[in-house]
Amino acid sequence: MAAYLARRIGQSLLTVFLTLTTVFLLVRLAPGDPAAAYAPPTASSADLQRIRAQFGLDGPLITQYGIFLRDLFTGDLGTSYSFRAPAFDVVMDRMPYTITLAVSAIAVTTVIAVPLGVWMARRADTKRELGANVLTIAGQSMPDFWTGVMLLTVFAVLVPVLPASGFTSWSGLVLPTVTVAILQLALVSRLVRREMTVALAAPYTTVARSRGVSERALAWRYGLRNSAVPLLTALGTRFAALLNGVVVVEVVFGWPGVGSLVVRALATRDYPLIQATVVVTATLAILVQLIVDLAYPLLDPRVRLGKAA
Amino acid sequence: MTTTALKPGRPSAVTARDLARATATRQQRGARFKLWAGAVCTALVVLPVALASLLPLPDPDGQDLSRRRLPPLSADHLLGTDQLGRDLLSRILHGGQVSLTVGVLAVAVSGLIGIVAGSAAGFFGGWADAVVSRFLEAQLALPLLMMLLLVVALFGPSVTVITVVIACAQWPEVARLTRSLVLVEREKPYVAAARVLGLRGRQVLARHVIPNVVRPAGLVVLLLLAQAVLLESALSYLGAGPQRPFATWGRIISDGQAYITTSWWLVTLPGLVIALLVVGVNLIGDGLRDRTRRRKGA
Repeated sequence: MAAYLARRIGQSLLTVFLTLTTVFLLVRLAPGDPAAAYAPPTASSADLQRIRAQFGLDGPLITQYGIFLRDLFTGDLGTSYSFRAPAFDVVMDRMPYTITLAVSAIAVTTVIAVPLGVWMARRADTKRELGANVLTIAGQSMPDFWTGVMLLTVFAVLVPVLPASGFTSWSGLVLPTVTVAILQLALVSRLVRREMTVALAAPYTTVARSRGVSERALAWRYGLRNSAVPLLTALGTRFAALLNGVVVVEVVFGWPGVGSLVVRALATRDYPLIQATVVVTATLAILVQLIVDLAYPLLDPRVRLGKAA
Repeated sequence: MTTTALKPGRPSAVTARDLARATATRQQRGARFKLWAGAVCTALVVLPVALASLLPLPDPDGQDLSRRRLPPLSADHLLGTDQLGRDLLSRILHGGQVSLTVGVLAVAVSGLIGIVAGSAAGFFGGWADAVVSRFLEAQLALPLLMMLLLVVALFGPSVTVITVVIACAQWPEVARLTRSLVLVEREKPYVAAARVLGLRGRQVLARHVIPNVVRPAGLVVLLLLAQAVLLESALSYLGAGPQRPFATWGRIISDGQAYITTSWWLVTLPGLVIALLVVGVNLIGDGLRDRTRRRKGA
């Protein structure tokens, strides 16, 4: 167990490190000068040179990388050019909003998709199941920015019952959550349906049925319990992906999360901010995956961590 | 003692009605419905887009400021005009050519890379597997859309770059599946037989293993096409798509967003076209998957 944990954490650190290095190189190879984005339009080339020196952008790439690594190991992710504040703090200021949206979207998805999947498994291959299946596929097929704009228009402009953008009250969470959840429904409900169909056809289900267990209990206690591991994996992966910032939805709804922060950081060539965002989101995503893996034995006593599957 | 009376001409007590109600029949009917509905939706979008240059349409970039924001079904403009008086139908169809080209090319590239990398990882194991698996893991941890935006900012938003970027984002999906399929296939007797007959590992892989995994892997590629179209339109929406004067679906929508309260069609109609195409492709992919799964009896 301890050895397994150590290996997993080591692998995760390596992944984060490689990701960071890639991003470091990519942003510096990209055309566009952060000094020009930072300085007033009237700045002379001497001014620009001074700003570059101030940001530590005047040395050769390898020196910059060395300084970057040194700072990284002391926990310093640099100062954001545009916010003029520590980049890590800027990202952490936005993180609660992204986490809130991710949690509520995953919660809504689970609450709708799991019962839907159970229902679909119990009514497998009927016309109504086919209809539900096609509907969820349609939800998955709509571009999220379009769904967002349409929901905005209907519920914030035509029938103004919900706020259009930003996070002023909890009701501002409704539309972004719905937009994200619509995308995830198909994936999760189909997974539940597939796993449940297998479980409901298994011999232990037949035995339980012959002993008089009700169909409802069969579905929820036998079928769903045995589908828990793949379901948790899928939800964990989706949650990790959402933590990486639902860029498009955040932009549409003016949601003050990491996703809209990234778009702004890219536009202003705010290198430290881009790097800090990647460190924080990648670390969080990997952490979620790790927690999901560690939770398997709780759900399924047959799983032993660290053993080959 | 009575026996079940058989209807004359039918040697079995199983009636046509029983057959129609059987699970296998219903599954088959469901799969067929999805295939047909998917084909119709896809064709409704793809055919007009492919024929856009042949159809008698106004120039997609021809502006006419006296005829701005005409509603759909106006004279000469079936879907109305946009904020600069350009014909919306023509813009959607020509924009579709860009989106579809990007989607199809990206999926072809990612399918190719994915199958090669995935089968190499699965078949040879060892360091090949280690390298490919690290990439697959990193892809799960990376903020996908952010990386795409970054690379587009780096190399400029040309059609080639966007195609490559989407392909890079998607190949791990194909590779993951191919790898798991090859891992199963590798242990089958025919592989051992081919080796005994003196074929080298690479030959066994290319001539015998890959042909057996291409079909299931191809199904995923179809579903990725739907994703590629969505990704391209999201990039365009965020301003990182192919640049003007190309009309792309994402940008038609982001340009029209400012007028949504007065001119609903500028956003609604292009979005419906994207959704129709993606639903169609997804349904075809789903239907095919249902069919293969049934054939395997799983």
